[in-house]
Amino acid sequence: MSRIEPIAVTLITEPGRLLALDGDTALLRLPANSGHGHEDGGQCIACAMRTDVRALLFDMLEGAKQGLRPAFSKVVVDASAVKDVSVVIAALTGKLPAQALRDHTVARMFYLAGAA
Amino acid sequence: MSQVNDAHIPDWNEVRAALTKAAQERILILDGAMGTMIQREKLTEANFRGERFKDWTLPLQGNNDLLVITEPQIIEDIHYQYFMAGADIAETNTFSATWVAQADYACESAVYDINYQGVIVARRAAKRAEAEDGRRRFVAGALGPTNKTSSMSTDVTSPGFRSITFDQLVDAYGEAIRGLLDGGADLLLFETITDTLNTKAGIFAAQRIFEERGIDVPIMISGTITDLSGRTLSGQTPTAFWYSLRHANPITIGLNCALGANAMRAHLGELSDVADTFICAYPNAGLPNAFGQYDESPEFMAEQIESFAEAGYLNIVGGCCGSTPDHIRAIAQAVAKHKPRVIPEIEKMLRLSGLEPFTLTKDIPFVNIGERTNVTGSARFRKLITAGDYAAALDVARDQVAAGAQVIDINMDEGLIDSKQVMIDFLNLLAAEPDIAKVPLMIDSSKWDVIEAGLKCVQGKALVNSISMKEGEESFLHYARLVRSYGAAVVVMAFDEQGQADTLERKVEICTRAYKLLTEDVGFPPEDIVFDPNVFAVATGIEEHNGYGVAFIEATKIITETLPHVHISGGISNLSFSFRGNEPVREAMHAVFLYYAIQNGMDMGIVNAGQLAVYESIDKELRDACEDVILNRRDDGTDRLLVLAERYRGTAGKEAAAKDLRWREKSVEERIAHALVNGITEFIDADTEEARLKLPRPLHVIEGPLMSGMSIVGDLFGSGKMFLPQVVKSARVMKQAVALLLPYMEAEKNADGNATGRQSAGKVLMATVKGDVHDIGKNIVGVVLSCNNYEIIDLGVMVPTAKILATARELNVDIIGLSGLITPSLDEMVHVAAEMEREGFDIPLLIGGATTSRVHTAVKIHPRYSAGQAVHVNDASRAVGVVGNLLSKDNKVSFIADIRAEYAKAAAAHERAEHDKKRVPLTVARANSFKPDWAGYTPPKPSFLGTKVFDDVDLGDLAKYIDWTPFFQTWELKGRYPAILQDERQGEAARQLFADAQAMLKQIIDEKWFKPLAVVGFWPANAVGDDIRLFKDEGRAEEIATLFTLRQQLSKRDGKPHMALSDFVAPAGTPDYMGAFVVTAGLEEVAIADRFEAANDDYSSILVKALADRFAEAYAEMMHERVRKEYWGYGAEESFAPDELSGEPYRGIRPAPGYPAQPDHTEKTTLFRLLDAEKNAGVTLTESYAMWPGSSVSGVYFSHPEAYYFGVAKVERDQVIDYAQRKNMTLAEVERWLGPILNYIPTAAIVAAE
Repeated sequence: MSRIEPIAVTLITEPGRLLALDGDTALLRLPANSGHGHEDGGQCIACAMRTDVRALLFDMLEGAKQGLRPAFSKVVVDASAVKDVSVVIAALTGKLPAQALRDHTVARMFYLAGAA
Repeated sequence: MSQVNDAHIPDWNEVRAALTKAAQERILILDGAMGTMIQREKLTEANFRGERFKDWTLPLQGNNDLLVITEPQIIEDIHYQYFMAGADIAETNTFSATWVAQADYACESAVYDINYQGVIVARRAAKRAEAEDGRRRFVAGALGPTNKTSSMSTDVTSPGFRSITFDQLVDAYGEAIRGLLDGGADLLLFETITDTLNTKAGIFAAQRIFEERGIDVPIMISGTITDLSGRTLSGQTPTAFWYSLRHANPITIGLNCALGANAMRAHLGELSDVADTFICAYPNAGLPNAFGQYDESPEFMAEQIESFAEAGYLNIVGGCCGSTPDHIRAIAQAVAKHKPRVIPEIEKMLRLSGLEPFTLTKDIPFVNIGERTNVTGSARFRKLITAGDYAAALDVARDQVAAGAQVIDINMDEGLIDSKQVMIDFLNLLAAEPDIAKVPLMIDSSKWDVIEAGLKCVQGKALVNSISMKEGEESFLHYARLVRSYGAAVVVMAFDEQGQADTLERKVEICTRAYKLLTEDVGFPPEDIVFDPNVFAVATGIEEHNGYGVAFIEATKIITETLPHVHISGGISNLSFSFRGNEPVREAMHAVFLYYAIQNGMDMGIVNAGQLAVYESIDKELRDACEDVILNRRDDGTDRLLVLAERYRGTAGKEAAAKDLRWREKSVEERIAHALVNGITEFIDADTEEARLKLPRPLHVIEGPLMSGMSIVGDLFGSGKMFLPQVVKSARVMKQAVALLLPYMEAEKNADGNATGRQSAGKVLMATVKGDVHDIGKNIVGVVLSCNNYEIIDLGVMVPTAKILATARELNVDIIGLSGLITPSLDEMVHVAAEMEREGFDIPLLIGGATTSRVHTAVKIHPRYSAGQAVHVNDASRAVGVVGNLLSKDNKVSFIADIRAEYAKAAAAHERAEHDKKRVPLTVARANSFKPDWAGYTPPKPSFLGTKVFDDVDLGDLAKYIDWTPFFQTWELKGRYPAILQDERQGEAARQLFADAQAMLKQIIDEKWFKPLAVVGFWPANAVGDDIRLFKDEGRAEEIATLFTLRQQLSKRDGKPHMALSDFVAPAGTPDYMGAFVVTAGLEEVAIADRFEAANDDYSSILVKALADRFAEAYAEMMHERVRKEYWGYGAEESFAPDELSGEPYRGIRPAPGYPAQPDHTEKTTLFRLLDAEKNAGVTLTESYAMWPGSSVSGVYFSHPEAYYFGVAKVERDQVIDYAQRKNMTLAEVERWLGPILNYIPTAAIVAAE
């Protein structure tokens, strides 16, 4: 069995930090909140995914698979707008409980390579 | 609260009838979000606590469900507002009221009361509303997903872990359901389903309670899809989700939540097509979109939902998160004028699911159930499981699915392990592997508790193997009901109180009795029943065993004929038990047995597909002996097979047979058939001559042995036992034989003057349309059809319409087949269709080629040719069936009716998909272009400017750059190279083909068959808007050409840029460059292919063309590498091996005009002029801008590090007008060339007004 090379994720936590991106690197900016006025999670799992780094990474993979975006081999996640970065780190290191099968896919396909 | 709550208990049968009637008359309205409304009340901790929870130790704010107890009036008023806004159905405020979800607040003890009170307050609101306007209102008891998942792990590092079990969920949902029903809920609504297995547990609980109470409460089911994959959170497609839950017999199936109505549309359309029950949808009010507009307003949401109603998707509709009574009012008004969806009839077929659906349709003759994950069937798997090596065991499952298993059998019946626990552990691990879990599972055990434990782990619809009447009717019915409650299909063994059925009579009698019990007493759907009438060992030396094979085959026939919709399966390996250790004989016996059993209705089996011999390729002597035994044709059958078996012991099966020349000893007829099936030309001339001398007339050789040999080939191909390259080789044998006979037939004709010619099955005219030069696919289809006795009139390439029609008329052909590879050919085909209509043709028109599609044929070609029928056929394997049906007196009408229905559906789906694709104005797209940081970037400078010609490439070097995967695709062998060579099904065919290709490749290189040419050029360039200006020299004053590019207009998420190729070139001020190239494998290919054709060797003709194509692509790849490393030089440090390049790991791109990044073929004119391609490489353009010779590749080079291949996709009229002005072409002209990518219908009136 050939295994696919996992994708390195670099996390930006301070506003204003910019990394030079090469052609293989995709950028994901995490929003501060889901856009609806209510608390995340709970009854609206669709809203919750707007702030869930795993769901967004999965959508990027899926988008590349469907040809909606270029393929990438590295990702820079800009979490500078997020209030509690520890949640993002927990999600990227497999410590946040999985809520969907995609979370397992993301855990296998991505790893947190470093923070900037 | 001191109010007395008298629950009103509904008559649920009456509720079901009333709701069904109402939903048939109009689209019913469900309410909107509860959470959104509660939030507006700005409640405090005290509100949530009320009197009952005032001393609670944990904070309760946010536990909205408690409010039905602590603030009932607020909740009642919200329900009332929704009812008065138009809702027919309210959902109770009980989304989180299970002990699982309430554990967060330690409120488990309040669960029953919340559910009970939730119904009471909703009912009070319903009564108030009914009193006001007299319209009936319904209360649906809402059951949320809980906050735990049973089908997957919450811990990604431990995928086998489960935080909750099926049994715990049955308990939790059971408690909630009792509360809801005691409160008097009209319906139960499982909503926002994130895990299908959780819901299966909920349904299991509901059905237990219904049974206990003797009631039948209507159930609504609503899943949730939130991401781009279009799947539920537990990974199922909408259809797979429906198949998993259909056993609940719900009154509605549908979707809720999701980001806005638009995101739900396609998934709802899918459900609407497959579900034979009402559809219910309640999306979220949307979110701010990428353009800063808000699509969450009531009007906007209502408008989107109205389009669902227009499309006929809706029976019940409401709103989820973010929606309010204003939204519901707007939605109710919007859908009021539309008719509700009519529930479609769904054909009774076995429909299973894993993450993806599987339907046993009529065109699947036999389902191979993978047996390698069965510890009793695979020694390797048993070793892995007993050693606890689950990772390797999962790889076995994965390989099996990758090799094409449609269902996999999981069996853990091994004495040394805890079968039940191992079944649970393995299934739980398997669930986290999407590439395995996509297929349905067969849960296989002789122990019921192992089966039941397995069923509690799978969210899909599984197949249970097996239950029987061994312990009597009562336990059989008990197990059957449980299987049904777990939502599985079932294999029933022909086994009763007296033992296993061994005779025909007993097999039929037991299956008939089981069928009656299952369908009448249990209500089991007949299509979900699979009978296993027991395969027993034959040739054991015991006389009564001799009839076992026949008994199975005959029982199969009677059972499938008398018990509608059932299936037949069996474990084949038992049959040959007495020949253990003699694999060649066992394989032959299995193949012979299946050959007859499948003909008689067996449609499933647990077999090792890789080890099955092909019936026709078994030595006749052995085959006859096997048939004697299996069909019990003679008393001494067993003895004879035993004697014969000794001869085969130790031979390695097919490989040995291939080198075996014993077939030469058979009759001439048999030798000819053997040569045809195996594609052997070596002896065909001598054999044909011998047959000619033996038979009265040369024609008899064709109509006799040759045609019967070819019909074996046709059947083997049709049933997937032979593959395209093998068939084309068979055709080569046929052509050689016919060529030898032709002079004799001519002589005979001259001698008696009245000899009748050969009778063909029909005349098929084939042509590659005007302006197109590609013909490999067309030639393959021609060969395959000629193998099936059709007469092929091949007009070649670049054939004008007039010639096609004149020839068709003159030769009175039965069918016309058109082929083309480049996009302008699509229009040309529309043109041919319209001309056929105008000239009064009514014969069928086949459409094929790389850019053609079913949708294009349905939408563009089919409507232009109403007198006949246009049919899209994109592979040779389908062509025979399609042509056969179209020319069949009996089938033609129904076949065409089916095609028309399919095309109507495809056209509707296309329209639906188009409707979803919103485009942005060109100005918006341009403002959002891709903007690299030019200030901090210095574009690399090429080592030369102007053009350079290359005519000295070494063919051997070039061959290293060949990407073989597309080569196999040409031959309809699907898979990646080199894995395809080891493919279980196609591997043998692929290896043969590859060996032939390597042999020819060696000849091509050694004898220098091709003289490839390339021309490359570089020029100073700068982007101006969407154009790229090319300059004569560094002065950048004299412009020598403009390359025009098109910009994406599809709406984008998250501010992604709207790309055009010009974005990759720097604007004026930064000196940048562009390159271009044309490469060709050379003109020689055409003459070589013609020579092979003249020698009746289509196989080599197609092979050389396919290789020439590969050489051209390889040259493009190699040249691009040299450009990056040397001529442009920006990739000098690159060090990829040639075979890594096909993955495009490098910097820079080389898109070609006519392909997704620049779909305009006419740009090639500029390219060819700049490169002087005709003079420098001998490549010309046809009127449709195809390159001649066909094995050529052209394109432009971009060096920017962020350049990538994107698709422009469809464009709007504003851009087309702008583009026409820039290119100085008329709008009509541009619209013609861009036809396939226009996002609008160009109309003559508008064109005239320009």
